[in-house]
Amino acid sequence: MFKIVFNTLVSIAALVGAAISVPAIAQEPLRLKGDVKAVKTVENDDGTTVTALVDPEVVVPGDRLVFSTYYSNTGSEPVENFIVTNPLPAAVKLADDADPALVVSVDGGASWGRLAELQVTGDDGATRAATAADVTHVRWTLAQIAPGAEGRLEYPAIIR
Amino acid sequence: MTKAAHLDRTIGLASILALLAPVPAIAGGIDAGTLIENTAQATYDNGSGPQTVDSNTVTVLVDELLDVSVASLDAGAVAAVPGSEVLTFEITNTGNGPEAYLLTADPSVPGNDFDTTIDGIAVDTNGNGVYDPGVDQILTGPETTAALDPDEALTVFVLVTVPATAVDTETSEVTLTASAVTGTGSPGTTFAGAGEGGSDAVVGSNGAQASANGSLLVGITTVSLVKSAVISDPFGGTSAVPGATITYTISAVVTGSGSVSGLVVTDAFPSGTTYVASSLTLAGSGLTDASGDDAGEANATGISVDLGTVAGGTTQDITFNVTIDE
Repeated sequence: MFKIVFNTLVSIAALVGAAISVPAIAQEPLRLKGDVKAVKTVENDDGTTVTALVDPEVVVPGDRLVFSTYYSNTGSEPVENFIVTNPLPAAVKLADDADPALVVSVDGGASWGRLAELQVTGDDGATRAATAADVTHVRWTLAQIAPGAEGRLEYPAIIR
Repeated sequence: MTKAAHLDRTIGLASILALLAPVPAIAGGIDAGTLIENTAQATYDNGSGPQTVDSNTVTVLVDELLDVSVASLDAGAVAAVPGSEVLTFEITNTGNGPEAYLLTADPSVPGNDFDTTIDGIAVDTNGNGVYDPGVDQILTGPETTAALDPDEALTVFVLVTVPATAVDTETSEVTLTASAVTGTGSPGTTFAGAGEGGSDAVVGSNGAQASANGSLLVGITTVSLVKSAVISDPFGGTSAVPGATITYTISAVVTGSGSVSGLVVTDAFPSGTTYVASSLTLAGSGLTDASGDDAGEANATGISVDLGTVAGGTTQDITFNVTIDE
């Protein structure tokens, strides 16, 4: 009985923690910070257009978002075999013009490769080349992050 | 935080994400009010074994796109005569949230030979694609549809009256416009908090309103019957004497751009004459006197020929013979 109560408390704490986006733990030498921007095209008075990254306050299907993950090694030791995995939210698809070298999965993270190397099996059993819309996860691998080093990983997405 | 508690947090987050997926992909896009949540997870080795860390979750609320399309469902110009006619349209919610649309029908379109009078706009309540008076609901002002779900289409009927002054081959168009009730304006105009699920509403590329034209083509068709007689007497002359044969010709002349249907020509034999059996012809071909085997029949009192549907600009000749009684 006591154990059940305890477990429940832990679960609640976990849910609350997730909802308010707890920052990485102080003891962890490695910090990850997520960010999202909307890519908006703004027309100047002279008719030229510029694209700008803005906070995604108003977004509708078809709009472009850039999801970023900042990492920093705040410890005193190097971090090795650093792999960042980012499941794509179901409501977006990877942008067609994403970096072709990006390592992706089209099967929920079971297998990985560059998009051009991957295939998917349709409902009719036929296989075809995977497209950006099939991507379920993106992944980055860094062999080593030196103490004090930091960087940013990003992928562009289109709201379905 | 202990490692065990950290693991719990990861599991909790995964559960929340699972509840949000999958989001159905639809033509109008992801539903307004959907939360897009992104979390990255890293694994690494810091010399004391594999470690896992999550990023914070970033959240984007999908706003409501106000969009609509309107199309005429009529196969072409609706064949019309003075009086009531019906034009059929389809309104489709091409946005990503439930939206109602204000409908306006404009009978005054440049190029019209005449303008109709708009009698009302009705919704295809029973969904059969055909206007059913008394069944399909006529909208009252302001003429507004119920909220349509994303990708939902609604058939509506514009009820018009073609004026008595319209003449054959004249055309007229009616424009039906549907405007998002939440608001219209230049693309990108935002109505804060007016969207589904507390999102903002954003005017789409067509200004959150669309229109289509339905057209009418007046086809007034008239039928005239011209009857003539030729007499041949037993003596080789043309005198109307007992025993003489009279050949009657009835020409059914159909004029106009349309056609008439169910055209039946009947004629009674004059008193004092007797029908010559099997003398009935249509367009030069003989018809039997019996009923039901072909277009014509003859009985003791007269003839009847069913011409069916006859296009304007054609003439059909019917002949039969009688003899003047002794």
